[in-house]
Amino acid sequence: MTGLMERLVSWSPELIFAAGQTLYLTLASFVGATLLALPVCALRMSRSSSLRGIAIAYIEVARGLPVLVILFIIYFGLPNVIPDFRWSSMTCAILGFSLQGSALVAEIYRAGIQAVDSGEKEAFKVLGLTPLQGLFYVTGPQAIRIGLPPLGNYLVGLLKDTSIASIIAAPELMLRAKDLSSSSFMPMPVYIYVSLIYLALSLPLSQITRILENKRVRQ
Amino acid sequence: MNGFWDIFFERLPTFLPILLVGFQVTIMVAIGSFVIAMSFGLILAIARQSGSRGLSILAGCYIEFFRGTPALTQLFIIYFGLAQLGFALPGLVAAIVGLGLNGAAYVAEIFRAGLKAVPDGQRQAAISLGLTPFQTYRHVRIPQAFKLMLPPFCNYAIQLVKDTSLASVVAAPEIMFRARALVMETYLSMQIYVLVGLLYLAVSIPLAILAGRLQRRNNRQTAGAIV
Repeated sequence: MTGLMERLVSWSPELIFAAGQTLYLTLASFVGATLLALPVCALRMSRSSSLRGIAIAYIEVARGLPVLVILFIIYFGLPNVIPDFRWSSMTCAILGFSLQGSALVAEIYRAGIQAVDSGEKEAFKVLGLTPLQGLFYVTGPQAIRIGLPPLGNYLVGLLKDTSIASIIAAPELMLRAKDLSSSSFMPMPVYIYVSLIYLALSLPLSQITRILENKRVRQ
Repeated sequence: MNGFWDIFFERLPTFLPILLVGFQVTIMVAIGSFVIAMSFGLILAIARQSGSRGLSILAGCYIEFFRGTPALTQLFIIYFGLAQLGFALPGLVAAIVGLGLNGAAYVAEIFRAGLKAVPDGQRQAAISLGLTPFQTYRHVRIPQAFKLMLPPFCNYAIQLVKDTSLASVVAAPEIMFRARALVMETYLSMQIYVLVGLLYLAVSIPLAILAGRLQRRNNRQTAGAIV
């Protein structure tokens, strides 16, 4: 048992470094998704039905595919179609998670905007604000408050999903764990340890999300 | 790009049957883990709400652990971790059990939310009428909660079908596993993964449409009830 304790201690620096890579992958994909979601949401809510159709198709495809398929299409598929495509597995993973996330986040934005009371929209029109100003000063801030709990849930899901990037060998926590597990022949303690690291990262996030949700329900 | 689709349609008759064999396994894994998740999830939800503090905390810890860690890590614990302890499971079994145990935590939360939405007066009335706690669940609370739970169950089913792709890493011979073998043979990675994606969409999009319809129907009915 002392042997195991020593192992756990000796694995710690590597695993904690890899947890940092997981956080980087998560945050980069989160930023990518929340930014990409803006044009997707704008198209989804546009007056032109063909633009709406394009956005709906994009959202349904991105949500309906397993993220592993998206990662494989980008990482293994693109080099086959574009001859000098040389993106690292990390970049491909960030792109893949951002693309899938943009569909989810666009729907969160839309639900938030639609949940804002229509009286608010009439009010800013009466006050002479342009639609863009209205979105920026009136609807947007309220929509963000409504959208925060679902965004939190999305972030927790994303954090866990980044483990899938290990399958295309992106350097993050799960990949490090696989290496350690095969070099030590001790998969059980390695993966339990890694689970606890994921829990330590995800539990605070899901707790904050829960608090935000309860606050909203009370309002 | 023209060449891409030429090759795609030229190879379709050879690729499709191979991938469909894998897709059958995908559906099998999904159904197997769905059954485990539903039955175990219900037990967890009832344990979570039970008067016993110990049971409730135990169920709560289970749910938090399985919802707080990646499904991939859980699969590895069951497939590689258990093998280290001398319980080597075949990849297919490990995938079904792993995704089932993972799903149980989600399903338990759906059951809990659904049961909570049924007014407590219903439970009190059933108890006053002399129904046992089991009968209260069986005849009063679950039937009423069921309709509310249908859309989230549908969403869970979509998530599950997508998650079965992870079973390929524990060597369960589902569609991603077959696709990877095909790619190694032919190097036509783009065509093959696009075809795989289309097969997943053929299941997930109809399910998503169904979930949306059920949700809208429920919304209309609750709106009607308030008026």
